[in-house]
Amino acid sequence: MRFALRRLGFFVVTLWVALTLNFLLPRLMPGNPALAMLAKFHGQIGPGTLHALEVLFGVNTQQSLWSQYVTYLHHVFTLNFGPSLDFYPESVTSVIGSAIWWTLGLVGVATILAFVLGTGLGIVSAWKRGGRLDSVLPPVFVITSAIPYFWMGMVLVLIFGFTLGWLPTQGGYYVSTDSPGLNWIFFQDVLSHAVLPALALIITLIGTWILTMRNTMITTLAEDYVRMARAKGLPGRRIMLDYAARNAILPNLTGFAMSLGFVVGGAILIEYVFNYPGVGYMLLQAVQGEDYPLEQALFLLITVAVLVAILIADIATALLDPRTRTSG
Amino acid sequence: MSLPISGVPTAVDQPAQLPGAQPGAAGPGPAARQPTTHALTRMGRAIRSNRKATVGTVLLAIFLFAALFPGLIAKDDPGADAYQPKLGISTAHLLGTTAQGQDMWAQLVWGTRNVMIIAFVVGLAATGIAVLIGVAAAYLGGLWDGSLSLLTDVLLVIPLFPLLIIIAGYAHGGGTLVLILVITVTSWSYTARQLRSQALSLRRRDFLEAAKVRGERRLYIIVVEVIPTMTSLIVAAFLTNALYAVLFASSLQFIGLGNPNTQSWGTMLYWAENEAALQTGQAMWAIAPGLCIALLGAAFALLNYAFDEIGNPALRPVRRRRRKRA
Amino acid sequence: MRRLTAIGAVVAACLLAASCSAGKGGSGSNNSSSNNAKTASSVTISNENGALWTCGFSPFNGSDTLLSVGFVYETLVYQNALQSGHTTPMLASSWKWGNGNKTLTFTIRNGVKFNNGSPMSAKDVVYTFNLIKKFPALDLTGDWAVLSSVTQSGSNQVVMTFKHPAVPAFYYIAGQTPIVPQAIWSKISNPVSFSDPNPVGTGPYKVNPCTKQNITYTANPNYWQPGLPNIKKVQYPAFTSNNTANDQLANGQAQWGSQYIPSIKSFYTAKSPNFHYWFPPTVNVSVVPNLTNPLLKNVKVRQAISYAIDREKVSSIGESGYEPPANQSGIVTPTFSSWQDHSLASKYNYGYNPTKAKQLLASAGFHPGSDGIMVNSKGQKLSFNCINIGDYSDWVASMQVVAQNLKAVGIQVTPDNLTNTDFTAALYAGKFQLAYYDQQTFGPSPYYELRNWLDSSGTAPIGKTAATNYERYINPAVDKLFTQFASSTSDSQQHSIMNQIQGVMLSQLPIIPVVQAVDWYQWDDSNLSGWPTPNNPYAQPAAYAYPDQGQVLLHLRAK
Repeated sequence: MRFALRRLGFFVVTLWVALTLNFLLPRLMPGNPALAMLAKFHGQIGPGTLHALEVLFGVNTQQSLWSQYVTYLHHVFTLNFGPSLDFYPESVTSVIGSAIWWTLGLVGVATILAFVLGTGLGIVSAWKRGGRLDSVLPPVFVITSAIPYFWMGMVLVLIFGFTLGWLPTQGGYYVSTDSPGLNWIFFQDVLSHAVLPALALIITLIGTWILTMRNTMITTLAEDYVRMARAKGLPGRRIMLDYAARNAILPNLTGFAMSLGFVVGGAILIEYVFNYPGVGYMLLQAVQGEDYPLEQALFLLITVAVLVAILIADIATALLDPRTRTSG
Repeated sequence: MSLPISGVPTAVDQPAQLPGAQPGAAGPGPAARQPTTHALTRMGRAIRSNRKATVGTVLLAIFLFAALFPGLIAKDDPGADAYQPKLGISTAHLLGTTAQGQDMWAQLVWGTRNVMIIAFVVGLAATGIAVLIGVAAAYLGGLWDGSLSLLTDVLLVIPLFPLLIIIAGYAHGGGTLVLILVITVTSWSYTARQLRSQALSLRRRDFLEAAKVRGERRLYIIVVEVIPTMTSLIVAAFLTNALYAVLFASSLQFIGLGNPNTQSWGTMLYWAENEAALQTGQAMWAIAPGLCIALLGAAFALLNYAFDEIGNPALRPVRRRRRKRA
Repeated sequence: MRRLTAIGAVVAACLLAASCSAGKGGSGSNNSSSNNAKTASSVTISNENGALWTCGFSPFNGSDTLLSVGFVYETLVYQNALQSGHTTPMLASSWKWGNGNKTLTFTIRNGVKFNNGSPMSAKDVVYTFNLIKKFPALDLTGDWAVLSSVTQSGSNQVVMTFKHPAVPAFYYIAGQTPIVPQAIWSKISNPVSFSDPNPVGTGPYKVNPCTKQNITYTANPNYWQPGLPNIKKVQYPAFTSNNTANDQLANGQAQWGSQYIPSIKSFYTAKSPNFHYWFPPTVNVSVVPNLTNPLLKNVKVRQAISYAIDREKVSSIGESGYEPPANQSGIVTPTFSSWQDHSLASKYNYGYNPTKAKQLLASAGFHPGSDGIMVNSKGQKLSFNCINIGDYSDWVASMQVVAQNLKAVGIQVTPDNLTNTDFTAALYAGKFQLAYYDQQTFGPSPYYELRNWLDSSGTAPIGKTAATNYERYINPAVDKLFTQFASSTSDSQQHSIMNQIQGVMLSQLPIIPVVQAVDWYQWDDSNLSGWPTPNNPYAQPAAYAYPDQGQVLLHLRAK
């Protein structure tokens, strides 16, 4: 219980830091960038909205920094992020709503697949030390983990999109011919558009998990209880899975959750290369279009998502591994 | 407040952090038993004997050479739109020319300098911050440890790349200096945590107890006894930070948040994307700089991995012995 | 664990197989173009707008006009800027100038209906003009800067009186002001913020339906031109990236493009013999000197800059050859070739001549310093900042060439790539030394663009916002020329005035045109004919040009 409370406490503190960072950043930059942004949109948005944005970004306002902060927090917790400037007059929340499913689908599926495949390969490679798998995999994947995400995407686009022409390379679906909804053509299109981006993500992520799983497994295999199991004459597969892997995987779970921060970063670049209409792509568009309300909201969304995932993974680890509850 | 962590991108901190493992039991121990100078010669020997380290060092050396003496390898001015655009590979243009008539090989070679500067400056600065904060947290203990660890963990968890994008966006995409600043300030937390863990595990070692009993001041202990013992981990931290600096910086340049007029691999990719290089038969423009980033990154990663193996003999590759037939 | 991995692999393989079959079906070029132009009576536009659609169609909202005027709303007359202002009567069947060009009387066409079936008449025209008078935010073309009244006369005539003669304003008043139904707009309490999601106009199309990702226009059954439009459906997807929009053109899913496509031959035209492109030049993209800068004030320095720039190279490298070199007279060719005064231009003979540039600088008292940069006896260096829009990669590339050209004659130029917002702020306030910019003010003669640049009414002191004259060029004699041009209707008089204006451009170089901006236009004639071509430039061909895009759609038909 204490453990869960502590984790929750950490979650709250981090959230608060992210919120405050979001609030302070435009104000800290030399020459408040919001000033120029608001000037650009001056003629196009209503005076009430304009005023609300000015308060949000600390421009031309008579309010003290503290009262601006309070207003900002109030807006955030009532999920009122204001209008998106690029998509005016649509509100930020509705704009994000359309993009979020794409990212969840792509990133969620790719990450899970990479984790499952990666840990699987790591376990096998550690079990068969010195085998072909073990000597080939680690160096190969050390290299792939250093490959920039977006370059991987570009290479896949070149090979499978242009040279071989097997798969589409842009967008989430064929915008001009499909009607989104529960129909088979749309579903097929979405799948075919998702293959290359997902592949790029999986390839760049998988190396990490293979390596860490392998290393944890190796250390676990040196443990006494594994030796005991071998001495007892238990079948190899059973030892590998039920004794070693089960214990080795636990630290990885937390690592999995923490690496989500990196996954998100990679997903942004992959969405950019493939023009995949998710929140990462939207963040880049917002930055390029100087749509600050949208930027801020997206950053908060991504941070909260990562935090929630970590919280869940931590709680799962705590439930599965009693040791973590007592240490630290 | 320590989270049960396990090695994420690199496997360096694996041995020290398994829950329930005894402090100092399986840590990157061997190098710790001897003073600094021996550690360096040991390192040299280790590099030569470990294949991954050799490859990594060779790659790194090649890139360093290109960064320091680009004029020796590439004769053309990388920025000059002096040639026929979109030429293919030839003896005059080793990689061909870009759509703006610049020699691609020259751009690649001269661009190395920008990348290496970013890698080394950010690597050093971020590692410096990480050592400071990690070791201080471990040694000062109590409230200091609590707050510094909290700061580290919070920054660790906040997704870095989106934060970088937003800051770079507010700064209206500055040049190299802005990139360096922004990346340094946001990326030290991962290595700070590793260093703190190791510092914590070293705390109870005999030689440090001896120093304390001798009556040495805390600062002396930290600077003279602890930090040199952590050399291999510090070097590993430097490699990690340098790797991420290269990836982050080139990613930011790729999406247009750098200065498009600088000579760098990331900006080459930016232009290649803008000119639809892949769709128009100029694939080399996109492939070459990306490959260089991957190779440089691989060099850092291989060296890191090799250090890991050197530190933890259990991870070294098992060499099959040939049985002689009797 | 192994089992899980195996299951995972099988699932992945199934998904891959399913998607491969979908991929093949959708991306084949012939497949999808015939798929889309099913009965060959629909056309898909590819124009990257940078954002999703907001589904607002107010003809008075600057961001939405290109989506509604031409498709749904129409103007009194269609005037083609590419054919020296050739006019086609639309909602007005005829018109007459009178009273020394201070009165303009339109006869409104009979039998025109709005797309909801109700009839259009002169009272709607009068209502529209008075609406934009009442709400100046709606007056996008600045009609009321020159109009003094608009009234109805009789059952079908509209009489407009002017404050002073302003014949060129015909292009805006008759050719660009959309006519809206009084019955609907009079009920809107705040027309400035009204988004107009279901536009009712006299045009050939209705909006049905509009989603964030795509607008579908369907033919208006009540359209006043019998039998038109031939194309029953127009698809206008929203693209947020250039690459995606270009892709749709390259694989035939869109037939009408308005895109900047890099390496267009290998990207697009090589894919099919039916793919074509044409980029008609419209306005100048120029190096804009800040004329209050003490060094740039010297006309010889500006002349040297003009001689030092290799415009051919800027065009071929910076703009992939799509935007032809401009000339110092500021006359865009071949669009306005008939206006060019060749004898005057050859007197000055501006062109790529670095030797002459260096001579001019020497005669202005400059000599190369130790660092190669020209410096004068007072120690002032010819070293300038040039602001540019960082987002426009072709302008960034062009500026790189310009900087290299100028470096070769000893003028150091450092490009400063800013965001759109920062750039316009700096430009308007005059906080720059050099700038690289074009004014998208295109009309039936060079008057429209040059007036914006040269007339002092568009300028302001440094620190205040200049509307159009950013270089701060003030010359009352030139202002007078523009006023004279505006009051004359005689062709020969207009040409002689324009010659004098060219003289000003050549002798005083208030701006230094480098290349000519173009309309982006690609078309696929495998199933559709009637496209505008260089031989038949019946309208501005870009899908974002309004109301021209309506004219294009009226000419298109299935093959």
